[in-house]
Parts: sequence; structure tokens; C-alpha cells
Amino acid sequence: MKRFIIEREIENAGDLTTEQLAGIAQTSNEAVASLGVPYTWVNSYVAGDKIYCVHEAEDAETILEHARRGGFPANKVTEVANEFGPQSAPAPVS
Amino acid sequence: MRKSVGSLEARTYTEAVQLLERENELAALRAALDGAVQGQGSGIALAGDSGFGKSTLIEALCADATAARVLRTQCDPLDTPRPLGPFRDLRQLELVGLQRREDLLLSDLCEQVYAALSTEPTVLVVEDLHWVDAASIDVLRFLARRIESMPLALIVSYRDREIDPRHSARRLLGDIASLDGLTQLTLKPLSVESVGRLLEDTDLEPARVHAITGGNPFFAAEVAKEPDLPLPNSVRDAVLAHLSDVTSHDFEVLQLIATAPDRLDDRALPLLGVDLPTLRRLDATSLLSRTGDGIVFRHELARQAIETTIPPGGSSRLHAVLLDVLEQVETRDPAVLSHHAVGARDGARATRYARMAAEDAARAGAHTEAAAFFATALEHLDSQDPRERAALLLQLSYQQYMTSRLVEAIDNVRATFPLWERADDPAGLAAAHEAVALYEYYSARRHQAETYSGRAAEIAAAPAASLALGTARALQGYLAMMRSEIDQAREFFAESTQVAAQHHDGLLSLKSGLFHATTELVCEEDGARTSLLDHIDAARDGGWDELASTGYSQIANLDVEHGRFRAAENLLQLSIPFTVERDIPICRHWQTAVRSRLHLHQGHWSAALEDAEEVLSSEGMPLAKLWPHLVNVLVPLRRGEEVDLHALDEIWALADRIDEPLRRLGVLTALAEVSWMTERTDERVAGLAVDQLPTLAAQPGAAWGAGQLAVWLRRLELPVDALDQLAEPFRLALEGRHADAARWWNLAGDPFAEAMSWADSAGSEERVRGIRLLDGLGAIGTADRHRVVMRAEGHAAVPQRPRESTRANPAGLTNRQLEVAKLVARGLSNAEIASRLYISPKTADHHVSAILAKIGLPTRRAVVVQAAELGLV
Repeated sequence: MKRFIIEREIENAGDLTTEQLAGIAQTSNEAVASLGVPYTWVNSYVAGDKIYCVHEAEDAETILEHARRGGFPANKVTEVANEFGPQSAPAPVS
Repeated sequence: MRKSVGSLEARTYTEAVQLLERENELAALRAALDGAVQGQGSGIALAGDSGFGKSTLIEALCADATAARVLRTQCDPLDTPRPLGPFRDLRQLELVGLQRREDLLLSDLCEQVYAALSTEPTVLVVEDLHWVDAASIDVLRFLARRIESMPLALIVSYRDREIDPRHSARRLLGDIASLDGLTQLTLKPLSVESVGRLLEDTDLEPARVHAITGGNPFFAAEVAKEPDLPLPNSVRDAVLAHLSDVTSHDFEVLQLIATAPDRLDDRALPLLGVDLPTLRRLDATSLLSRTGDGIVFRHELARQAIETTIPPGGSSRLHAVLLDVLEQVETRDPAVLSHHAVGARDGARATRYARMAAEDAARAGAHTEAAAFFATALEHLDSQDPRERAALLLQLSYQQYMTSRLVEAIDNVRATFPLWERADDPAGLAAAHEAVALYEYYSARRHQAETYSGRAAEIAAAPAASLALGTARALQGYLAMMRSEIDQAREFFAESTQVAAQHHDGLLSLKSGLFHATTELVCEEDGARTSLLDHIDAARDGGWDELASTGYSQIANLDVEHGRFRAAENLLQLSIPFTVERDIPICRHWQTAVRSRLHLHQGHWSAALEDAEEVLSSEGMPLAKLWPHLVNVLVPLRRGEEVDLHALDEIWALADRIDEPLRRLGVLTALAEVSWMTERTDERVAGLAVDQLPTLAAQPGAAWGAGQLAVWLRRLELPVDALDQLAEPFRLALEGRHADAARWWNLAGDPFAEAMSWADSAGSEERVRGIRLLDGLGAIGTADRHRVVMRAEGHAAVPQRPRESTRANPAGLTNRQLEVAKLVARGLSNAEIASRLYISPKTADHHVSAILAKIGLPTRRAVVVQAAELGLV
């Protein structure tokens, strides 16, 4: 499966309450379950007027199908080319 | 842009179907697009049967529209269309007020749409207009009238066969036929050669396929897809032929989508258990496509083909499934839910959602749809409460009244009588009688109206319902005023005013005051007109638009009746747009009829006929049709054209049913004019009119109507009494002071009456002057009659009948041309006229040329100079 970053523009997303986020999560889970193809919702980050989501699927079209079924916007879908972090630095030579 | 289901690649419909024999149409569409990009708007209506390639053409245009924003929307084949559905779906425009339960003024929405479409070059496509709702047509007409001032290519498509004369789209199509910047294109069947090109890769014989498909491009293309199968007999067979591999599970999903004719909402898919692999398999059929938020059939013919495969009884199950699911998807649309509840034979939910949909529709000004939804709610109502049924019937009848369906409205209100009795509710029963009374009156049955209003008052006389007594009295007073029984009217209004004060009812108080002021204006009391205008302002301030509009209707009518033509013209310029903006069709019919009569006085023959035609062709209220009928007889008679005199008998019957002195006088006057023109004795004139003139003239407010009749009777050399009761210009005429009368009419702005006054004179010079004026007005028929009389009397110097109009006059101008001519007279340039009337400078220039030709003047400067003489100021 490929990993995607999805940008969703939602006005005042930062003001969404925990309860509202729980509701969105439930809708999203139901959309995932209905797809009938491999799909993983990894995590999401609320920031300003946007929600950034990390999902895994076979292709971007499946990402869009999930969004349609959930009634979510998906303004930009970008495949993750690579991942790295602190652990990616070369091990110090002792 | 629509996408194929289940895949990211957008495979457009155009690529799947070839565009054959549509070069001219495509060129026209592209020209509209280019115009929009350059800021010059235009509109095209594409007509053609199902499968003739309307959508294909539109796809091709949209694919080209790189320099313009493309907005596509469509109307849905629901039992009753969603009010404003096409505009609700245009979410990109961010229109305010289209959410449920929001109050919406249609005129505000029109302005919003206009503003949103004026910001950048846009292609707006509205498909399947044969399923449109009446409110969307109002918005589209608003755009059509301003199209040239917008950077817009407006493309609408429809199946012409499905639009009958009563269809709400008819009015828009009428505009498209008559307004500048709008064109209608009809798609024709394909030729045998083109069918042959579709079949290029097959062994099929073009002539045979052409014969079977009738040259229908969709049908022929479907046949071409399965060349090895026997030729299908119908589109249905052709569509189903390549579905043999579809599994029964997938087929049921197709049937489910076919049951949701608006679209199957994407968010319903999880609840329906339709997964992505299923959608991908269905994509292989190429039957489906995706809109912004749902799945639809690419083609309506395909949807219908699938629909026919649903077994008996299966459709109600599918509707029930959709109803359950869509109830859980926000925002719930009661119009769609009502459609599925009816399909599911779920009476309780059908009533609930239909009522909600009806109330939404009524709020949005979509009265046709509101009536249809209320009828659905009633049909499925399963309640023992008589009040509930009665309330629904009243709501239905009100919407029918708003759409000029008075006969049905009356039947439905009458059906509530036993229900109110069963509920022991005298106030409801009285209100219902009042409603019937008003509708009967608008139907020109005054006697029935009075019976019902009297009955309403009797029922309401019980103490529990005394406010109802007040409203019944106000109506009784109104009816009394209309039949010139002024003292009785004043008594009724005194009583209704008193009841209003007891109950602190602002509306009834204002209504009583407004009707009372009208009564005083009928009698030409000092200050009555100002007082009536004050009441209208108060009604507008209070938000009682219908009452304000009724006030305008009364003033306009009395202004024309009393010879205040310029005042009437100024008032109608404000009040007719008000009836459109506030959605009061009954007043619009009435005021258009009044304007028709006004144009007759002003010698604007063409504009008079135009208004008359509008009133007579609408179902409107019979009460308003009296003057338009008369205009239809008098204008051709005066112009010396062929006249259908049989129409007079119908008019006489109508006047009999209305049976009011002022209306009776108008008809008798017209009959007298006809009698004078045709030299035929009419007993209604020679007998009845002569006998009744003194009585009629003695009626309050009859000084003008009786004066008109008296003057025509004098021309017929019939005896005329009651001179002292007549209004000034008629007294002058009957005293033989014809020149003074002529000058009076000249100042008032009635050139026909002015010319007739000169022609009535004793001196041959004055008479010749009258004939010349009539010739100049285009009243050749009337002038000819004078010529005959003068020659018979042995006058030598009778002017010859002119070859063409010898004098400039605006008699042949349409309403639109009159509007432009007045602006020309004020010295406005084409660009200034264009921006005021929302047309292009080019169209303004065309109008000005046409106007100059019609009024026989060389330059616009000449129009400015002669403005006063032409009656254009």
C-alpha cells in the first residue's frame, strides 16, 4: 500500500471540539469499512483551517472515494515519497 | 467535471460518443463561450429528443472552456421537482438562503446569482429543463433579461416534446424566442451517412440501423457497441444487450441507482453496503458517471432501461431502502425523501416529508411545486383530526390561488367546510368562507362572492369568533365598494375598524383603513389619493406586501378611470416590478390589465395589445380580463384592421357576471364605439345604455365612466341625459365646447380622445384637424369613418387617407421600445441605455433604429426635441 498526505480545508478546523472530532472519526471509520479494499487511516493533525491526514491505500482514487463517502473535502492528495526522522541520521562513529 | 465511476482518469462522454452533424450547433455554443470571455453574454437553448446528443455537445463545449469558469447543473426527474434544485446544487456560487428553513426572497436570490455570475467569464449549463421547477425558471428569466450585460454563456437543454403549454419552462422559452442575445437550437436526427460512420467498424447495414433507431445518436451508438447481436427493437433492448455479464448483485446496485433519479449520494454508499470493487465493475458498463457528490446515470435513457427491469413490487422495496438510508444523511432534502416515501408506499412519511417540502417550496416562492407537495401530503394523510386535513387543504388552495388555479382553489377550500363543522371551529369555517368569497370574486362571480362573504360574517357573528367577523366585514365592504355601494361599504369598514381596535389587530386595522381610503378615492374626495398612498407605505413597512400591492392595484385602476394617465404610468412603473419581486401574481395580472387600458388611452396600440395578450394568455383571474378583451377589440377597430366582433358577446357575458356599474359602463362605451364605427344598431346601446345612463351616472364615482358613454351616445345621435353629473372633459364635449375638450385631453395625455374631440367639432377645419391627428396616431379605421361622414355631408376638403403615418407617433412601439424611447427622449446615449436596461450597446442601437423607423423620425435628436409631443416625458 502507498501512503498519502491529504489536505482538507475546513474553516475554523482548529475550533472543532473533542466530541465533534469523535463524530468525524466514526464517519471516517465507517467509510473505511465500506470500501471493500485495503485501507488504513494512520493519523490526522488539526492545524488552523486545515486537517492533514495520513492514510494508506492502493491509489489516490481510493483516497478520494473515502473522502466522498465520508462527505469530507480532499483539497490536495499527495503520495508520500519517503519518510525519515531522527533515527535516519547515520549512527555516530564511536 | 464529471468522472467515470471508480477510476481517477476522467473519461469524458465525448470521447465515448462521436459528435456527428453537430458542427453548426457546436460553433454557436463556442461563439457564446467566446462572447462570455469578452464580456458579452448570450444564451442558447438546446432542444432535442432524449439521446439526440445535447449532453455530448455540452461536454464538448465545456472541454473547450479553458478561459471561462464552467458551472453545470441539472433538473431531476422527481415526481415533483426540488424547488430551486439546479441552483441549490451550484455550491460553488455560495448562494445564501438556499438551506432549509431559511427565509428567502426570490428577488434577492436573483440578484445574488446575477452578482455571482458577473464576476468572471462563466459557462452556466442547466440541463433537462423539462424537469425544472417554476422558481428556477424565474431565476433563469431574470438572467435571460440581463444576459447581454454579463460575461455569461447560458446554456439550457430540454426535450421540446415534454414541454406543453402549461409547463413552467414555457415562459423562459418565450423569452428566448423574443429577447436579444438568446437563441434556440433544435437538434435533428442523424442522417443515414452519419449512422454509417458510427457503424464503420461493423458489418451492420446503415439504412436498417437508421430505420430502427430513427437516427437517434444514442440508440445508434448503443447498437454499434454490440454488432454481433440481433438488432434490438428499442433503446432499452440495446442498453440491456451489453449487460449480460453483470452479476445479479451488481444489477441490483444499478437498479438502486436508477431508483434515485436525482443522484445516489456518495455518503449513502457505506450504509447501502456498496463497496469500491462493485463500483469498479459497474464502471465497465459505461452507464454511470459521477457528479460532485453522487452517482448518476450517464444517460437518462439508460436509467429508464434499467428501471424497466425492476420486477413488480420491487420498486417500493428499493425506495424504502433509499428512504431509510437517506434519512441518515445530512442535509436531508424533504423533496427527495417525499419522492422515496411515496415510492415506498409509506403514507405517514410521505405526508410528513411532502408537507415539509411544500413549506420549503412556498417559502422559496415555488408555488407550483408547493401545491404539488401539499397535494401529495393530502393524498397520503391518514389522520382522524379534521383540523389537520382542513389546514392542509387551505394551504393547498392558497398555493393554487398563487398560481392562478382558482377553480381548484375554490373546490379545495369548500372541501374544508364539513371538516371545520366536525371540528366545531366557527373561526376556521368563517375564514374558509371568506377565502372562497375572494376567489369567487377574482373568478368574476360577484354574486357568489357576496353570498360567501355574507355567510362568513354570519358564522363569525358568534362571540368566540369576532375577529373573523371583522375580516368578513372588511371583505364585504370591499365588494360593496367595487359595486359602487359606497354608503354600505363605509358602514362595513367602520365595523371592521372597530373590531380591529378591540382585538388590537394591526393588519385588519390597516386593511380597513386602506379600503376606506380607496372608497374615498372612488368618490374623488380631496386627499384620498395621498391617504391611500400613506396606507400603502404603512403596509410595506409592516411587511404586508399583498395588502400594499392591492392598494397599488386600486390606485392605478382609479387613476386610469379618472383620467390621471401620467400618474398611473408613474405608479405602474413602480408597482408592477413590486408584484414580481414580492411574488403576487394576482396583482401582476390586474395591474398589467390596467396598463393595457392605460396604453389604449395613450394611443400606444402595440403596447396595449402586448399587455392584453399577456393577461389573456395567462390563466390568471377572469376579473382582470375585461379590459384586455376590450383592448383586443378596440385597437384593431381603430387601426382599421380585422376585428372579431363575436368577442363582444363573451365580454358582455363577463360584464354580466361581474355586474358592477363601473365595469358595465366600460363595456357599454366600447359597444357604443363599435356601433358608431360599424354603423350597426346595437340594442344594448340604443336601448339599455340610453335607459340606464342617468341611473349609472348617479352612482358614486361614475362621473368618468358615464361621461365616456355619454359622449359616444351623442356621437350616435342618441339621447343623453344627466349632464351635470359628468366629469369635466365630457361636460365640455356635451356642451359643444369641443376645442376645450380637445385641449383638456391633450394636457391629460389621451391623444385619441383629443383627436375625437376635434373631429366632433362643428367647423370643418377642426374636423379635418381631428382626422389628421387620428391618421397620425395610426387610428386609420376611426379616421376613415370620419371621412365617410364628412364626405356624406358634402364637405369638399376631406383629407385623403395617408399612405403611411404622416406624423411621428409611438403607437406601434412595444413596451420594451417605449421604455427605450423614453430614455432616448431624455437624451441618454446607447451605452447609458444599455447599462440601465442590462442589454448590450449594440442591442440598444438596434432598438433605437427600430424606434426611429416606427415613429418616422430621422434622428434621436428629433426624438428629444419632440419628446413632449410624442408623450415620452
